[in-house]
Amino acid sequence: MSENMNLPKSHYHDEIVKTCLQFSVAWALLAMGVGVYIAAQLVWPQLNFDTPWLTFGRLRPVHTNGVVFGFGVSALMATGFYSVQRTSMVPLFAPRLAKFVVYGWQTILVLGALSLLAGWTSSKEYAELEWPFDIAILVVWVSFGVVFFGTIAKRRIKPIYVSNWFYGGFIIVIGMLHIFNNLAVPISIDKSYSLFAGAPDAILQWWYGHNAVGFLLTGGFLGMNYYFLPKMSGQPLWSYRLSIIAFWAFTYSYIWAGPHHLHYTSIPEWVQGTAMVMSVILLAPSWATMINSVMTVSGAWEKLRSDPALKFVVLALAFYGLATFEGSMMALRSVNVVSHFTDWTVGHVHSGALGWNAMVTYGAFYYMVPKLAGRPLYSVRLANVHFYLALSGTMLYIMSMWAAGVSQGLLWLSVDQVGELRYAFVDIMASMTSYYGLRFLAGFIFLSGTSLMAYNLYKTMGARKAIEARPPQVDPAYQV
Amino acid sequence: MTKNPIVFSFRSFFHPFATFQSLAGTELSPRAVFFSYALWLLLLPPLFSWLGAYASGWHLGAKEPLVLTPKSLTIVSIGYFLLLMFGFVSTAIISRWMAGTYGASRSLGLHFALVAIVGTPLALASVAHLFPHVFFNVLVLIPTMIWSMYLLYRGLPIILQTPPERGMLMASSLVAWLLVAAVSLLGISMALWTAGVGPFLGV
Amino acid sequence: MNGFSVHRKLEENTGLLIFGILLVSAIGGLVQVLPSIFTESLSQASEYSHLYDPVELTGRDIYIREGCSVCHSQQIRPLIAEVERYGPYSRADEFVYDRPFLWGSKRTGPDLHRIGGKYSDAWHHIHLIDPRKVVKDSIMPAYPWLVNRAASDVGNIQGKMRALQGLGHPYTDEEIAAAPAALEGLTEMDALIRYLQMLGTNRPQGEDPNLHGDH
Repeated sequence: MSENMNLPKSHYHDEIVKTCLQFSVAWALLAMGVGVYIAAQLVWPQLNFDTPWLTFGRLRPVHTNGVVFGFGVSALMATGFYSVQRTSMVPLFAPRLAKFVVYGWQTILVLGALSLLAGWTSSKEYAELEWPFDIAILVVWVSFGVVFFGTIAKRRIKPIYVSNWFYGGFIIVIGMLHIFNNLAVPISIDKSYSLFAGAPDAILQWWYGHNAVGFLLTGGFLGMNYYFLPKMSGQPLWSYRLSIIAFWAFTYSYIWAGPHHLHYTSIPEWVQGTAMVMSVILLAPSWATMINSVMTVSGAWEKLRSDPALKFVVLALAFYGLATFEGSMMALRSVNVVSHFTDWTVGHVHSGALGWNAMVTYGAFYYMVPKLAGRPLYSVRLANVHFYLALSGTMLYIMSMWAAGVSQGLLWLSVDQVGELRYAFVDIMASMTSYYGLRFLAGFIFLSGTSLMAYNLYKTMGARKAIEARPPQVDPAYQV
Repeated sequence: MTKNPIVFSFRSFFHPFATFQSLAGTELSPRAVFFSYALWLLLLPPLFSWLGAYASGWHLGAKEPLVLTPKSLTIVSIGYFLLLMFGFVSTAIISRWMAGTYGASRSLGLHFALVAIVGTPLALASVAHLFPHVFFNVLVLIPTMIWSMYLLYRGLPIILQTPPERGMLMASSLVAWLLVAAVSLLGISMALWTAGVGPFLGV
Repeated sequence: MNGFSVHRKLEENTGLLIFGILLVSAIGGLVQVLPSIFTESLSQASEYSHLYDPVELTGRDIYIREGCSVCHSQQIRPLIAEVERYGPYSRADEFVYDRPFLWGSKRTGPDLHRIGGKYSDAWHHIHLIDPRKVVKDSIMPAYPWLVNRAASDVGNIQGKMRALQGLGHPYTDEEIAAAPAALEGLTEMDALIRYLQMLGTNRPQGEDPNLHGDH
């Protein structure tokens, strides 16, 4: 019978999934730890210890690269490899290449972090790593694409499920952005000069920078959401049509938003204007996904009783709605006038990073690890404690940065009746200390929650190998 | 259930879950909830902020306080009150709109009561406005808000008679609405102020 | 519905899906980024542009290395309060030799685009070695090692200038030959201060230099 002959001989390659997951948790602890440390430095500058590699300026990119490319990309690799196999119903294509991707990526991260501490930097945000790393990243990234799309290409089921469009979009677009934004002339192993200068360079950088957020932190994690949410709730996606519209509208409009990082700067107004308009339009596809997800899970509420993972994903969706809405709003020039250069932007970033990215990942991990280990989660109670720590940490972070950022923005612009500045910069800066203290506390709370998760997952998985799961039979109607 | 707003507010402040229990399944008039209870709570923050700002100006952190004329203060306080009213009513209405999806009670009066009881700690904590230092208010109101959120998550299933997990989903959706409303408030304020409607900004 | 049956094709064909994603995601960049690269007013040098000399270039590279743009911006927006605080707003042609651009995205510390000439060399020297000596509430890190390192050790200056020359910066061969001598005897601190003192000072003849901000 054709179905039996179609069944692949080997099991899913989940060892590699497990490895990525472990790296992701390790980076979460490390990079968030650095984040908490630099937050402390803004309150107690003595913590710079007059040491070059401990200064805020060098540690900050270690934090950002560590959370985005360490924690985030490792999580996307783990969940991506996990879900692409199961939605294609085949084991991973080229498993040895996949191993190269994973270990190659981790090597780049570790060496890259060390290089940042040494002062090797292009200064372009989220693209700080110098040219040798950029080349290495490209090689690993193309391999990642080959493994991922190769798996899809040899699928046994005809349609390509929606989560794979989002993961695929993430891989393709990040590759494209990486190539163009890192074009540079190398001078020595640790230094290069960007191919473009000044205003064009700025526009290029934020085409990259915003879409790193758009396609990595949003797109990739939406892929995660589209696979894990229906799985966890045992419900099919609420609306297939909505997911199609959302994906293409998202992929088209997000790319335009970059220059909203450059409002009122020396770039052409028409570029700022198009970015602003598209940033507002972008809200529609973003929320379409959120609504689709909320409606999918609302039918599965009984699961919340026993499943902490689902709690994380549900709350992540609320924060996703908040962050995408706030983003569109901050992209309006009249709001941006106040928010640009302030801590409001930092608060916005973290409402997305902590509230959406971290939480949806934690949900996915709490779901995946028991499945990989073949036994239940070590402690549901700890996971629930983690949930409240994550929620309070995130809320405290957002609130303290809203207070700080709005104060800063307004006080900087504050003039009296005759048009003279009311406040000196240094006075405004000094008044931020209390908010920075609250933010440090918030980060610490969030990190504690993450540590509980690391412990919980470690106790669940231990040193076990991943369970050998096999692809199932395919319904003949959908067979390739 | 007592109709006396002062007694009611203290009772719901100290025994919120007992209050939720006693209201569950009852018929409540939204008008009664509003006029005998919620309205008075909503008046507190604008009142306290007017008094505090009149007495010592707004301490925004950077050296001298910002002193406004009583007339401007009154305008700001009235705006604050109208805003809180809008927030209260809209949240209750949206909550009722969501009730269908989550199998919760559709009695508007109960939704008014839910929002009022959940908001009581914040209304009472607004006494912090008597000391109009931004950071002090932030320090008092954030824990209060966390407490209010806790009341929402645990109280909603009780008063609206829905299973805890379903209530959790609905509460999360309400939280999402509140966050969006808060952010819209920020954005609209900024847009208005930079357009000249409000304090003078050198834009 | 027609559109959805077209989508069937994309959903069932890996290559088409990849192509579709590439096509759709490329549009925004093609419209916004590409024309900007070819817009002359954004990359052509003018009387407002300043070509960095070897010492300033070295100082700039130190600024980049130490992550100064993480806390300091170099972009004054055309807003009344901002111009009052920092000076005339930033023009695109002031950045034509900035590789990469250093506009920054956060002002933990003040904007530095027109910091040139506002403080003495001695002030900068003390401030960089220990910021709190001159700004009591400062949270800026200290950079004492800058006085112990030679400016000539900050990479190969001639290699840098030749590369930039290749990218269109009008360095003459004589300037490049003379560059190492220009760095002789200077510390990293000297170079960085020279860079800071030059920032934003390039105004054409006759323009009012008195639009100094008061920070």
